[in-house]
Amino acid sequence: MSHGFDVGEAGLELHDPETLPVGNPAVARLDRAMKALNRWVMVPCMAAVFLAAAILTYSVAARYFFKIPTEWQDETAIFLLIGATFFSGAFVQSYRGHVGVEAIAELLGPRANRFRMMFVEAVSFAFCAFFAWKSWTLVAEALHEGHRSNSTWGPPLWIPYTLMAVGMTLLTLQLVLELTSRIVNKEAPR
Amino acid sequence: MISGAIGISYGVITLLVMFSGMPIAFGLGAVAIGFMYFFMPGTALDTVTQNVYEEMASITLLSIPLFILKGAAIGKSPAGKDLYSAMHAWMSKVPGGLGIANVFACALFAAMSGSSPATCSAIGSAGIPEMRMRGYSPGFAAGIIAAGGTLGILLPPSITMILYAVAAEQSLGRLFLAGIGPGMLLVALFAGYSVYRYRKEYALAKTAYAGGGTGGVAKSAMLDDHVYTMAEKVEMLPRVVPFVVLLIGVMVALYGGYATPSETAGLGAILAIILIAVVYKIRTPKQLQPILSSTIRESTMLMFIIGMSLLYSYVMSSLHISQDAAQAVVAMHLPRWVLLAAILGMVIVLGFFLPPVSIILMTAPIILPPLKDVGFDLIWFGVVMTIVMEMGLIHPPVGLNIFVIKNIAPDIPLKDVIWGVMPFLGLMFLAILLMCLFPGIATGLPDLVMGAPK
Repeated sequence: MSHGFDVGEAGLELHDPETLPVGNPAVARLDRAMKALNRWVMVPCMAAVFLAAAILTYSVAARYFFKIPTEWQDETAIFLLIGATFFSGAFVQSYRGHVGVEAIAELLGPRANRFRMMFVEAVSFAFCAFFAWKSWTLVAEALHEGHRSNSTWGPPLWIPYTLMAVGMTLLTLQLVLELTSRIVNKEAPR
Repeated sequence: MISGAIGISYGVITLLVMFSGMPIAFGLGAVAIGFMYFFMPGTALDTVTQNVYEEMASITLLSIPLFILKGAAIGKSPAGKDLYSAMHAWMSKVPGGLGIANVFACALFAAMSGSSPATCSAIGSAGIPEMRMRGYSPGFAAGIIAAGGTLGILLPPSITMILYAVAAEQSLGRLFLAGIGPGMLLVALFAGYSVYRYRKEYALAKTAYAGGGTGGVAKSAMLDDHVYTMAEKVEMLPRVVPFVVLLIGVMVALYGGYATPSETAGLGAILAIILIAVVYKIRTPKQLQPILSSTIRESTMLMFIIGMSLLYSYVMSSLHISQDAAQAVVAMHLPRWVLLAAILGMVIVLGFFLPPVSIILMTAPIILPPLKDVGFDLIWFGVVMTIVMEMGLIHPPVGLNIFVIKNIAPDIPLKDVIWGVMPFLGLMFLAILLMCLFPGIATGLPDLVMGAPK
């Protein structure tokens, strides 16, 4: 594909999930729990992408063969794909799958790199935490005021907002875990 | 010039954050929110998530995961190898036919999978050893595959084009059609060059063999002929035809007005999954799992970058940075071709460290108004910009396809790969020049199918 970063698909496999050093048993346990959670969350994500494709296919068939008007298909597919995207955010992060510009890493020594990574993780965490918080307030507002999408079908908007909020919360947890383990395990080379 | 200062600091801080190695999505989001906090009314921060949701909840954008699913289904099956063998068998009579077969196989596979690196790796892993066995020089073999892979982002359904259509508010159907002419032009140029190069290498091999008969010069494999019987050729077809039918069927669904572009994406994904189930017996959930999992990894990474790039551009335009920058460019009154060259140069430089998706979404509000102002057709520019970003996939130091080739043929020195790619970069540049002279190469087909633009 076009975006220039899909090395995973090209056979240059992505990094393994970050194996955090076992220095601190509590952190290690949390890490295992998070990995299990991420793997489990991938199941509905995979199902959602497949289902979205199936629904859109059905939409074409319904319109052309059965002459049924299509009104809910597009939005259902949107909700499924938004859900799959945000829910898998933490899984992708655990594989270092959110790409960045790594050019500078080779120019710095290990100590400088450690501080650089701490900075990167702290800012990423701050951003995701803020985003997760604002997503939850959005859910509360949509529930309270009964916001609906302005299509003819008009599904309630708290559904996709909740998917987004849960996904960003998972991602925030993942980043907290990565940052904590970097601080706790001082000597750990990564 | 307060807004000028804000604009410059926005750019500089973004660069610093990008170079810190921050994941692109989080970096763009953090910079956007930081500037919102300091320079925009407090209420803006409260609606930031709603903003991102509304920008992302577009069925056009969300067709991207489905196109990726279709590509992954085709890319992870042995379809590439079969396609390649069939092309090879049918082109074996033509001088330089093997090179042409590789170009054609790349083009077809790219159109089906929509992925440049996946094309390089699927066709290249069969094509490069075959070409080298037949005496093609390693650099040339690598060059054909690296360049052939780039056709993926020009032939529909291309993700780059989906994003351009969203950012430039152009018709996606029209843009897809506009990519076909230049795509064919590139296929013809690549195939023509490989025949020319084959003749040269063949002549060299022949002289070396004839002149050094007793000198111990080995007879180049290029001089041996391998003839396929008709039966062998026909036998290859059943495995390839379904995929070509899929390709054509999806196009007909889209342009025959049966399906919207996003429905086409869903339909294509489901058809591809059915095809690999029938042809390659990939049908249990366990076999499908790697396909779905790699789809999600890739599409989530992309959708996060896309969502945050949209937030980034939203802040940029709320602070009037993009409008002021665009106006400043217009006010320079550059001659139109100088403007085009400058903008394309900037795209190339940005391509050194940003993926095309963010380049398009971040620069569109700044570069498109000036281009429109001097009378460039934005559909035409979309195709030119796409080819330029394709060149970024194969030029050093960062060309992704070069590294894919390095991975599937580790014994070819990087230097040979890079030199092998150079003539193809030249051909792509030639294609851009031709498109500047004859814009109809791109705009002719959409005008023909969909009528002249309003």
